[in-house]
Amino acid sequence: MTTDVRAGAAGSAPGAANDGQTAQRKKNSVLKRVRKKFRIFSIRSGMDLPFFFLILVLLTIGLVMLFSASYPYAYYNMNGDSYYFIRNQVMFAVLGVAIMIAVSYFDYHHLHKLAIPILLVTYLLLVAMLVLKDSVFVPNIKGAYRWFYIGPINFQPSEVAKFSLILIFSHLVSLNFDKMDTFRYGVLPYVLILGSIALLVVLEKHMSATLIILILGAAMMFIGGVRLRWFGLAFAVLLAAALYLLVFTDLFSYAMDRVYGWLDPFNPPEGVDTWQTRQSLMTIGSGGLLGLGLGQSRQKYLYLPEPQNDFIFAIVCEELGFIGALIIIVLFAMLIWRGIVVSLKAKDKFGMLLGVGLTFQIGLQVILNIMVVTNTIPNTGISLPFFSYGGTSLIMLLAEMGVVLSISRNSAIEKL
Amino acid sequence: MAKGTTVRMWRRTIFVLLVLIVGGFGTLVVSLFRLQILEGEELQTRAVNQQTQDTSLSAKRGTIYDCNMKVLATSADVWKIVLDPNYIRKELVPKEGNENIQDVIAERLAAILGKDQETIRALMEKQTYYAVAATKVETDVKDQILELKTELNLGNAIQLEPDYKRYYPYGAFASSVLGFTNSENQGVTGVEASYNSYLSGTPGKLVTAKNAWGIDMPYQYEQRVEAQDGYSIVLTIDEVVQHFLEKSVAEAAESCQARNRACGIVMNVNTGEILAMTVKGDYDPNDPYTITDEADLAAIAAIPDDEEHQEERSEAIRTAQEKQWRNKCISDTYNPGSVFKMVTAAMGIEEGLVNENTTFSCGGYYRVADYNIGCWKTAGHGTETFAQGLSNSCNPVFMQLGELLGADTFFRYFEAFGLTRKTGIDLTGESNSIYYDAAGLGPTELATSSFGQTFRVTPIQMITAAAAVANGGYLVQPHVVSKIIDSDGNIVSTNDTTVKRQVISEETSARVSAMLQETATTGTAKNGYVAGYRIAGKTGTSEKIDEWNAAGREGEKMYIASYCGYAPADDPEIIMLVFFDEPVPQNGEVFGSAIAGPPFAETMAEILPYLGIEPKYTEEELAKLDISTPGVVGQSVESAQTTVSNAGLTYKVYGEGDKVVAQIPEQGESIPKGGTVVLYLDAESAAGTVTVPELTGLTLSQVNARISQAGLNISVSGAALTGSNAVSDTQDIAAGTEVPAGTVVTVNFVDLEAVH
Repeated sequence: MTTDVRAGAAGSAPGAANDGQTAQRKKNSVLKRVRKKFRIFSIRSGMDLPFFFLILVLLTIGLVMLFSASYPYAYYNMNGDSYYFIRNQVMFAVLGVAIMIAVSYFDYHHLHKLAIPILLVTYLLLVAMLVLKDSVFVPNIKGAYRWFYIGPINFQPSEVAKFSLILIFSHLVSLNFDKMDTFRYGVLPYVLILGSIALLVVLEKHMSATLIILILGAAMMFIGGVRLRWFGLAFAVLLAAALYLLVFTDLFSYAMDRVYGWLDPFNPPEGVDTWQTRQSLMTIGSGGLLGLGLGQSRQKYLYLPEPQNDFIFAIVCEELGFIGALIIIVLFAMLIWRGIVVSLKAKDKFGMLLGVGLTFQIGLQVILNIMVVTNTIPNTGISLPFFSYGGTSLIMLLAEMGVVLSISRNSAIEKL
Repeated sequence: MAKGTTVRMWRRTIFVLLVLIVGGFGTLVVSLFRLQILEGEELQTRAVNQQTQDTSLSAKRGTIYDCNMKVLATSADVWKIVLDPNYIRKELVPKEGNENIQDVIAERLAAILGKDQETIRALMEKQTYYAVAATKVETDVKDQILELKTELNLGNAIQLEPDYKRYYPYGAFASSVLGFTNSENQGVTGVEASYNSYLSGTPGKLVTAKNAWGIDMPYQYEQRVEAQDGYSIVLTIDEVVQHFLEKSVAEAAESCQARNRACGIVMNVNTGEILAMTVKGDYDPNDPYTITDEADLAAIAAIPDDEEHQEERSEAIRTAQEKQWRNKCISDTYNPGSVFKMVTAAMGIEEGLVNENTTFSCGGYYRVADYNIGCWKTAGHGTETFAQGLSNSCNPVFMQLGELLGADTFFRYFEAFGLTRKTGIDLTGESNSIYYDAAGLGPTELATSSFGQTFRVTPIQMITAAAAVANGGYLVQPHVVSKIIDSDGNIVSTNDTTVKRQVISEETSARVSAMLQETATTGTAKNGYVAGYRIAGKTGTSEKIDEWNAAGREGEKMYIASYCGYAPADDPEIIMLVFFDEPVPQNGEVFGSAIAGPPFAETMAEILPYLGIEPKYTEEELAKLDISTPGVVGQSVESAQTTVSNAGLTYKVYGEGDKVVAQIPEQGESIPKGGTVVLYLDAESAAGTVTVPELTGLTLSQVNARISQAGLNISVSGAALTGSNAVSDTQDIAAGTEVPAGTVVTVNFVDLEAVH
């Protein structure tokens, strides 16, 4: 592993060639662009094929599982239309893959210019969420305000916020890398941006997104070079805050019942609803080693709520068993690994940070989603990338993967 | 500064990556391993439990046959009507034009089932897929529902599940033995209860997968375990014997107005097989909850039907139901009274303390421990042999025998005759006796116990002990089931004769039987006599001292009239006990012999020939024997007259003509020797009638005179043939009835001397 990366980093000759190619491409005529498009399908393409195919494999498995998991739910809830979810999702997946490939041709360096405008749009959206709370645009769904509805489209501004955060941190670190040791350039902007976004998302009552944003932000700052003592300080502050809440407020005792419900979902305290968790555990357990077979889930027959969404992985476990679930986890791990390898070979810090951030975001989503499904952490709404139903989020995800592919075109990585 | 990645960034990225892969993905794999491999089975069980729906498939309950394979209880196909409210709500109501389908179903179904529309409608509001609308629905109703389903296109909204209903083709017949089943097809009393595990079979199971809304999953997931039909049971009960016993006991209970029910048992002396067992008032097992006893019904009707008396009312109903379900033969204890003297006599003979000719004296009472305990004949029997003492049912003789035996020996035999333990009959609800043990038997208790008072036993215990006296001393276990067979007729198990022990020697048994035969022929028990059948028997008129004491000895005494006897005395085969609880006293007295003797004799006279026991007539009996009327219709007058005369009968001729067009009695009817056969020569005279005279309260010769005067014939029953003091008691055709000349009138005689 080490040798591999070092070799890639040291071997600058092909990287230089690539760089020249990129520069050239920027000025290319329409004709030349058409000729390059042809190269998408070429083995000698500039895109990292392992990463690309891992995405396609996961997306395909995701679609198959979505169809299996969603058809009874769709049958009973969508007036007998078993194909409701899969039809939409396939449509979005095709569109998303097209967008991903298109974005891979787009030079990610243009994102430098877009970092601040996107951040502003993010703030605008997040503030709009709070302003339009309880309106038709931002309805209250299970006590939270996560979704923004404009006409037929609906999306979660927190998704935009994640991308925006990764982009602005990558932008700022690569810009001020020399001054990362200073408080003014190395800590303050990040703390302010991260703090303000996290605050706005927490006000949407979107805990899982807040958690992902905080972890992602911390990871980006850590990789970007923020000194360790600041993390020590943050840790101390968090500990103090937790202690304060524990001692001086009844927030924890209030949450205790939920904790008990989490620890023992089959015997929850009065008033704590653990139906979804219980069903999820039963679903996973039913799979055993080899699973009931593709399409053979019984729990998807209305026992497991929203089997096409956050809890789709439980159905995967039931139908494909431990072995199948393990294969999918390994595929995700390979995707993360490849994404990081590609990013580390990026020519510049901006590309490297952007790629690492987007890849880690996927990894974090996968880990937290499966932790919820397996009741390793308390139930909170996190979708599983490439599997969970949702058009806009899938398109956004694939577009982000397009950015990573774009980085791979410019990285020093050995092309297959 | 280089444009590219620094080493620190690289290191830190790898660090985060490792945390993510090892920590994050590692945790996931561990969690999944725990849930799917370690806890998988447990979680899967939970899941399967919620996903599957068990539906019980009824097993067909076995048939109960009598010993000749006549069906006494059987199960017939019926249907259970089940609604699926979820299906109706989610599948039917949303359909075009189906907005009111629930009301329509409620209305139509209520009409078919004869139920309240509101009740059916309420079922459809339930959040379930399974709501039982009706059970035990007959096939014709089921067909109507099937039509309704097709007509309204109801799909799975109404389901018909096969079930079984219990039928008892003979109604109230043998209900105390058979028992009945509840709505769940489980036996409640009788053989239905004691053999429930054999009869009920094993219900099958249909496991189907249901989604969380309770609708069948669209894919195949069904497991069917077929129901195992119950075994059938063959009783030792003989339908014919049972029929005769029931008829006699019912008639006698009616005429003596037994206030606390009556019962009768017929048993094979040697095997303990119960051939018949009846309790009057019992109930119809087809409808066991309906109260049959008129006194109970009147008492319940007397309770006001309002809220205040609700509890009292239902309590009264429950008590009355429990009473009619209670098998008096095995559940109620009583003082056997003089019937028990046959057991005491056997003890005395076996111990060699007395023989037939040992003399005793009776002064009308016997003094025991400062008490004078009376004989039923207050004048006393004077000096008598032991055999005469038994025949006279003399209490002082048995008190003296009790003294000779002593408490220890008496109790040892009492125990040996099985009177301290339940008999173990294969019916539910058997009670045990109440008695003094050897230490508790003081002189008074011993004296009164010797003639069957003081202790209480069940009728089944009494008849079992009496059977031991009769059959050579062997105490057998009574039973009502002879074998259990499967649906193909293969024998699953048989109940063989169980001999518990030999209590007395065969010689003692034979000697006591001989004395009892004398008792039933010329002694106090002669009302049980049946010509040709060497009956050995003993009557009992026990005082219900305990109840009388409990009532404060106010009002009239309460009695039990009973008769226990067996035949043939020299080689006993059939033993029978009849018992009438609290008959209404006549002139303040109750005579057990008069009440219990005739039904005993009647039943024995019918069942002994049926059971193939050959009669052996004495000379005296042969002389009085009835003759079967020869058939002479169609013959010439002369020829007919000759035939009738040759048969030992006389004749009368009515009408004008050459040929006999009708005769009364008809061919084959039995009339006494010398009876009259009326021969009609034309149809007109055949239509003529004569009036039946009053025939009760007369001697046999007086009755015969009136009968022949009226141009009728007589059939005699009861003690008329043996008792010099026999008086006619009942006639089967009431006085004043117009009947054709020559009709046979049956007249029953009782011997008033033989009352105890």
